[in-house]
Amino acid sequence: MASNILRKLSGSLIGVGLSGSRVSQTFNIAPTVLSRRLSSEAQTEAETRPTIRKHDEVARAHVTDFGRYVAECLPKFVQKVQLTGTDELEVLVAPEGIVPVLSFLKDHHNAQFTNLADIAGVDVPSRKYRFEVVYNLLSLRYNTRIRVKTYTDELTPIDSVNDVHKAANWYEREIWDMFGVFFADHPDLRRILTDYGFEGHPFRKDFPLSGYVEVRYDDAKKRVVVEPLELAQEFRRFELNSPWEQFPNFRDTSVIEEAAPAPEKK
Amino acid sequence: MAGVATKLTTGLTGMGVARHPTTTLKGLYAKILRTTAKMPDDASYKKYTDEVVRDRAAVIEKHGTDWKKIEQEINCGQIEELIIQAENELNLARKMILWKPWEPLVTTPEPDQWKWPPPK
Repeated sequence: MASNILRKLSGSLIGVGLSGSRVSQTFNIAPTVLSRRLSSEAQTEAETRPTIRKHDEVARAHVTDFGRYVAECLPKFVQKVQLTGTDELEVLVAPEGIVPVLSFLKDHHNAQFTNLADIAGVDVPSRKYRFEVVYNLLSLRYNTRIRVKTYTDELTPIDSVNDVHKAANWYEREIWDMFGVFFADHPDLRRILTDYGFEGHPFRKDFPLSGYVEVRYDDAKKRVVVEPLELAQEFRRFELNSPWEQFPNFRDTSVIEEAAPAPEKK
Repeated sequence: MAGVATKLTTGLTGMGVARHPTTTLKGLYAKILRTTAKMPDDASYKKYTDEVVRDRAAVIEKHGTDWKKIEQEINCGQIEELIIQAENELNLARKMILWKPWEPLVTTPEPDQWKWPPPK
């Protein structure tokens, strides 16, 4: 039943094509741009290879329209709206606006994303705000999904969305445990996955794969002891570079862009 | 209730049949419109919310207390669910007045923040 319910977005909004002429609008929508990922731009011609996923143009148009709708309703918080290569909608928001955006997506008539499926974290140490926090939402009413992303660094807290979605309680504890992202106003921000007395945040890129301590049973002391790690194996260089290009769609096309941010980092 | 069958159950656990659903909905929609009236006129949120609410209010006006036709025409769940949606929207609209989402972007992202693959 739910799958045939479509959002009645206003006619003027649907009339605006993605790259077509934009109807003159009185409101302020300047900073929010709906852009696609490189991978989807490479697929402009009709896909004929049978093993490659084909784009559903109708579904894609709906998703695009809804993305623009969100950006237009919340120009204060939405920085960017994009489609992934598999036509999933991603809304990239400023960290201050995560609670308003998720409340809007939950309570607005045309959104009704009442289900918080997951919260994930991403660590990119080369960025100034190294952590991305990713919220996956599901709307049972309209049978659609959306992904909301925001960012922070080690010290800046993000507002907890526990008041909007109760499911966020444990998910945010996971993020806190694994990445050390602090959530302000969380009712019970404790570690959730790691062991008692564990130190550090294991999903950070600077956390060593082997950890810092090892746990073993000591026969003389008749108890389990925790000791600083001694690597039995000699240091080994893991050479993960491959002579082949694995993700040509994610190739950074402009050499100038790639070269520019390097010197300010190191 | 002339000629309109009474709803016996919603068929959904925990959701009772609403006593006077159309009256409740009319009241809620009026409240939403009164709340959005406090927002600036060029706010898109106000524009679209008003549009949805007016549409639904018009449907309810048209069919009176006939909940079957209302559910059919709005096509967004049972009339009890419509009440929940309206309550949510009302709460949201009240918060929106504090958040002021129609203002210009509060923080511009770092140039490499949303780039993928990330710079080395």
